[in-house]
Amino acid sequence: MLSKLLKYEFKATGRIFLPLFLALLIFAGITRLFSAIGPEQWDTPAVISMIIYVTIMAGMFVMTLIMMIQRFYKNLLSDEGYLMHTLPVKPWKHIVSKLLVSMLWMIISLSAALISSLIIALKKGDLSEIIGDFAIFFHRAIEQYGASIYLLTFEIIISILISIASGILIVYASIALGHLSNRHKMLASFGAFIVLSTLSQILLTLIGLIPGTTNFANLHITPDNFAQMQSLLQWAIVSGIIFTGLLSSAYFAITNIILSKRLNLE
Amino acid sequence: MSTILECHDLTKKFGSKVAVSAINLKLERGQIIGLLGPNGSGKSTIMKLANELLTPTSGSILIGGMKPGIETKKIVSYLPEKTYLNDWMRVHQIIELFSDFYADFKPEKAYDMLKSLNINPDDKLKTMSKGTKEKVQLILVMSREAELYLLDEPIGGVDPAARDYILQTILHNYNENATVIISTHLISDIENILDFVVFINQGQVVLTSSVDDIRDEKGKSVDVLFREVFKC
Repeated sequence: MLSKLLKYEFKATGRIFLPLFLALLIFAGITRLFSAIGPEQWDTPAVISMIIYVTIMAGMFVMTLIMMIQRFYKNLLSDEGYLMHTLPVKPWKHIVSKLLVSMLWMIISLSAALISSLIIALKKGDLSEIIGDFAIFFHRAIEQYGASIYLLTFEIIISILISIASGILIVYASIALGHLSNRHKMLASFGAFIVLSTLSQILLTLIGLIPGTTNFANLHITPDNFAQMQSLLQWAIVSGIIFTGLLSSAYFAITNIILSKRLNLE
Repeated sequence: MSTILECHDLTKKFGSKVAVSAINLKLERGQIIGLLGPNGSGKSTIMKLANELLTPTSGSILIGGMKPGIETKKIVSYLPEKTYLNDWMRVHQIIELFSDFYADFKPEKAYDMLKSLNINPDDKLKTMSKGTKEKVQLILVMSREAELYLLDEPIGGVDPAARDYILQTILHNYNENATVIISTHLISDIENILDFVVFINQGQVVLTSSVDDIRDEKGKSVDVLFREVFKC
């Protein structure tokens, strides 16, 4: 059932995002063409297409946020919830399907932004140069620090993913908590968001106070001390992953309990 | 006859407001049952409780002996009072959604009914009138071969001509082992198809009876009896 939910979630959001991505890439291409004609002077068409490109890019990022909130609220907690919650599907699957699809669009939006800026800025031969440089950099890093670079890369990717997930889940939990209020649900959701983020911040500070934990905020890493700091850095990333993971599970649990036990559709 | 729906001291409170108050009820399979009561009497709340859209404050509600959950949702076809259709799908897409999630959904039935009500399967849900949306929803709900149909105000928003068609649809689209529960206050319109009635007022069951008994023993129609019971 999860795969079917993912399919419909992807369809519901893709119809907005795919045209946006396409428009972004097309205007990146047009900007490129115009600036290729007269690279020295900023002529009007180039400026206009550049402005449109930047607007689409901004719109795309705003849209990922709006869609994240809207898909959760509208599909599960407004009238559409009557259909979604009477499907023979466990509530946690609804949450997971929305979370995964939201994460996917955020990552694709970032990639689309990167690719489109490359389209505009890249000169001939640049790409192979960049790839070459990157390969050399990676090669040197492995030579100096061994295979732990792979581990580090892997940890960084995981920590980015889990940060995105926790950012989405705190919003879901806030909306769900706001839904418990009989009136002013929007306002209550907003309040819940502030409370949840404050609590998480306090928790993080408290953990930092525990004797024996290093205050990672004071880490100073320079190319010179990278080797000695490496294990510390890795420890910092791992504990960050664990902490964010625990927070995310708490947000998820709050959302799931409310959707399964405290649902009260209008 | 076996029981399809039973309530044991079923209570639901919203804050201090009691919507359903210690209801005990046993409904048998194979009938069309009218859940009748004035506005705000708790009809919709009971239906929501049966669909796990609400959780009881105390007591329990069982469908085919099971608490509401995944297994009951597979056998219950529910028509809420709200329009739950999203605004981006076309009719044939929502039919695909129903086929995907409900094993007992019969798409060919749905297409047949759409045709007789002159609704184009390629139309967007967004552009439809409220009445047409209600028709589409009813078609979706009745195209399932469920064991229990819970229809909350199924004829409230549609025109009288369509009303007749819808009642015929309900009559012809359930097999003899299935049960239909219709909540409404438009009694005269549906009186003829009912086998059994439950009167409910202020969250409590006031009367349960077969329609034949009402006619034979009291010599009244359900509509007249309703007006007497709920006289303001």
